[in-house]
Amino acid sequence: MSPYFGLQALPFLLFLLFAALVASEHTSNWAVLVATSRFWFNYRHLANVLSLYRTVKRLGIPDSQIILMLPDDMACNPRNAFPGTVYSNADRAVDLYGDNIEVDYRGYEVTVENFIRLLTDRLDEDVPRSKRLGSDAGSNVLVYMTGHGGDQFLKFQDAEEIGAWDLADAFGQMWEKKRYHELLFMIDTCQANTMYTHFYSPNIIATGSSELDQSSYSHHADNDVGVAVIDRWTYYVLEFLENRVTSLDSKQTLGDLFDSYDETKIHSNPGVRWDLFPGGEQEGRLRTVVDFFGNVQSVEVERADADEPGSLKEDLIEIAQLVEKWRAFSQDYAAANSTSHHEVARDSPAYEVKRRNVGPAKLSEETPWEKRLIGLSILGACAAIWFTGSTLGGTVA
Amino acid sequence: MVASLRNLRNNPHFLFVRLPYILSFLCIISGVIWLFLLPLDDYSRKTYISENALLPGQVHAYFAGSEQHIFRGYKRELEGLINGNENEGEESVERTPVISEKIQSILKASGLKVATQGYEYTSSGITHQGENIYAIIQAPRGDATEAIVLVAAWETIDGELNLNGVSLALTLARYFKRWSLWSKDIIFVFPPDSKAGTQAWVDAYHDMQPPTVQPLPLKSGALQGGLVIEYPFEHRFENVHIIYDGVNGQLPNLDLFNTAVSIAGGQMGIGTRLQEMWDHDNSYEKRLQTMLRGMVKQGLGYAAGAHSSFMPYHIDAITLQTQGNGWQDEMALGRTVEGLCRSLNNLLEHLHQSFFFYLLMQTHRFVSIGTYLPSAMLIAGNFTIMAIALWLRTGYYKGPGADDSTVTRDGKASESEKEQLLSKDQAQAISKAGDSINGSTVAERQLALPLTLVISLHLLGLIPLYIFNNISHEKYTLATHTSIAINALLPPTLSLLLSRTNVSQQAQLHLIKSLSLLPLGLFLSTLATLNFSLSFMTGLLCSPLSFISCPSTATKPAVRYASAVLGLVLLNILSPPVVLLAGCKYFGVEVTTVLTEAAFGWDVWGMWTQVVVWCVWWPAWVVGGVVLGGGLFS
Repeated sequence: MSPYFGLQALPFLLFLLFAALVASEHTSNWAVLVATSRFWFNYRHLANVLSLYRTVKRLGIPDSQIILMLPDDMACNPRNAFPGTVYSNADRAVDLYGDNIEVDYRGYEVTVENFIRLLTDRLDEDVPRSKRLGSDAGSNVLVYMTGHGGDQFLKFQDAEEIGAWDLADAFGQMWEKKRYHELLFMIDTCQANTMYTHFYSPNIIATGSSELDQSSYSHHADNDVGVAVIDRWTYYVLEFLENRVTSLDSKQTLGDLFDSYDETKIHSNPGVRWDLFPGGEQEGRLRTVVDFFGNVQSVEVERADADEPGSLKEDLIEIAQLVEKWRAFSQDYAAANSTSHHEVARDSPAYEVKRRNVGPAKLSEETPWEKRLIGLSILGACAAIWFTGSTLGGTVA
Repeated sequence: MVASLRNLRNNPHFLFVRLPYILSFLCIISGVIWLFLLPLDDYSRKTYISENALLPGQVHAYFAGSEQHIFRGYKRELEGLINGNENEGEESVERTPVISEKIQSILKASGLKVATQGYEYTSSGITHQGENIYAIIQAPRGDATEAIVLVAAWETIDGELNLNGVSLALTLARYFKRWSLWSKDIIFVFPPDSKAGTQAWVDAYHDMQPPTVQPLPLKSGALQGGLVIEYPFEHRFENVHIIYDGVNGQLPNLDLFNTAVSIAGGQMGIGTRLQEMWDHDNSYEKRLQTMLRGMVKQGLGYAAGAHSSFMPYHIDAITLQTQGNGWQDEMALGRTVEGLCRSLNNLLEHLHQSFFFYLLMQTHRFVSIGTYLPSAMLIAGNFTIMAIALWLRTGYYKGPGADDSTVTRDGKASESEKEQLLSKDQAQAISKAGDSINGSTVAERQLALPLTLVISLHLLGLIPLYIFNNISHEKYTLATHTSIAINALLPPTLSLLLSRTNVSQQAQLHLIKSLSLLPLGLFLSTLATLNFSLSFMTGLLCSPLSFISCPSTATKPAVRYASAVLGLVLLNILSPPVVLLAGCKYFGVEVTTVLTEAAFGWDVWGMWTQVVVWCVWWPAWVVGGVVLGGGLFS
């Protein structure tokens, strides 16, 4: 049986599949939650991230689809009056550390390089799945970052920083590699809104805690832990998520979330960027919060008529074209082989590519005299120029 | 402007003789005015905490309630022992073995590791000996790489019995032991006094102790900060007096001071005071007074408290001293110490963010080195300007009455040289001016004698330095008076000897003065960066030396003698031992006390003030006397 049979049949089979497809928004949810600062007095940044971690887990995103980056271990810090715990509220009602937490990148693993490699999937083969962002063109990705930042940068661990362009390029590459369907970027740091100014890839909604030249403040301190335990913006985002998005069925939209920002409480001006989203603010506002914070339970497949970039239909067409191309190429190759090398063609199948040894080119094979003459004449011309130049120069002097 | 500058060239007398005096005088005046501007709002700054990790006052202090009963219990036990041993003779009550045993047993009962260290120092014939008791709380979850020190000396720096302070430290030791949140070890030290004990302990902690001091059997990690508790009376207190000066004018990081002010004032509601300014209304006068008090302390460089001994090892430390009669009790002080310890515990690295060089003028106001340094630098600079001017003068300018033969002989050579250098019109102007500029000729300097004199005077300073640091304390008054007498006689004698040599006396004296002022200026400007106050004070006391000159031979002999004698008398008033006597009179202290303290500082604390006095100030002063005395023997 011809090996091409499968390939020939593939487009047809896939076409059949198309007919069965139904419309869908996205097929999976991923969350990348990053704290970027270490040291005890930055307790609140880790508490911020752990609060978000707890929320996305509560709304159903499994640990396998959450990348949690914690640069320091507050729970086991000797200064922690409550060993093994992290709280984001002075009432200490909820221990965020608990006993079911999976930290994927910790300590000095939290670097700009690792973060960008994670987003763009430029990781070694031996990097475990827990450290990989396995999202695809059907994934809604939530990226939350917090730490100390400034105008268009966010500091990582006191040693390096990620720039707004770095982040924009990472997301751009994610889009090219079809690693997200829609992306919600949230950042809580000083001058946070400057971090998303350079984004250029589509389908991104971005929001930050404060404008250029504005600080983001901590919300309150715990007098027994002795440090601030949460930042203001995260605190109020969390308040919204805890009180209004109580289950996966919640119909709260991103518009509701962003409308809940109260600048008198947050003490800075949070920002939202819609323009990269198809349909802009109008469409974006309609996305539900659980589109990003929750997990999609049912597997929905794509609309048959979907033709935007990254859709299954487009992919299938591309694959079919590839198959066509390959077939034509191998036929040509087989034909060429059969005419020029009869013996070889008989011994091996046509599609088996044989390496032809090309011997190293010898210098003697070329025409040496011509080149030598050219060289000689150039040298002669140079000498003549030098000679005339020196004699002329001599007479002038 | 340009024309006037050009005129300057033609007026060498103004350029070489007058101008340096004017410049030097301006430097001194602006240096002093600069200092008096510092307390103004425009020149000083509000204090702020720059180390993020400190987080002062963010933790609740739980030291209260039942801990007070424990405090009273400890205090009663110690009191009983002290009263029981009162009649045992000369030995200080707190050094009896019974009390030492008691403290050790209390600390052991609280679960601390306890050790003792004996020490003995001898200085100016007085022996200081004692035994430090110390105990370590090992951080339950930390690594043993860092530690905080709490010191409660039996005797405060003013010599009072610190019973409350010791009892409080014992209570805190028991209380801290039960917390599990320490990232650093906490060391409690109970030295018998505030002068030698801590020094012996901290020296031995870094293996730098002299042979008379025992090594420490028990150690912990690098010391990150030190707090000294002093509560030397029985009634309730009103304010906490924060003492921060270290030996040789070194200061702890400003963040530590700010943290203490912030915790005591902001969180506990206890007022803070500094430099013994009990009522500070934040007016210009009070600020200035506070700053000057700080400068005197810094300039003299003695240990202001038990914390001072930590400073040479770059350990930031302060003393918290209770003061006044108010409604704060020992628990409030204990909570302040707890808050400070929690803040120090939060540190991730050595205090380094804030200033190490500052002048405080109020608990919330300071000037940093960049602002105050020009003041001392200007004063030091005046000596350098004068030295350079004198150097130029001895080389180029013979003075208005230079004799004609040299002028005509050297005049021709200089004119031809000048014509090559200067543009034509200038050269014409100069040739027109004729003989008036011919004074600026090159003369040879006779350096051997002046150099020898200045260097040997600096070396001679080692003799009084040695004597004052090594004789018995009973002889200090005699030694001071002797040195005053020698100081009065030495400069004229040297002048007499100089006049016997057959070199031009005037040039000789100029050179001597120049060579003496040059190192003075260099030394003081260097010192200004290390110990601003000492440099400033020495500079001010030396400032007349810039303006001293030998009366010229042209004046009448009677006037010359009179001015020389008057000058010498005035100069003697500013001699180091006379200034010392006057200072002691003014502050109402015995000379013997001051000198004993100074010798103790030299022997135990590693104090350098004497070196500045005897090897920098005194030689420059003697040279000043020699220059003046020149008027007597010409």
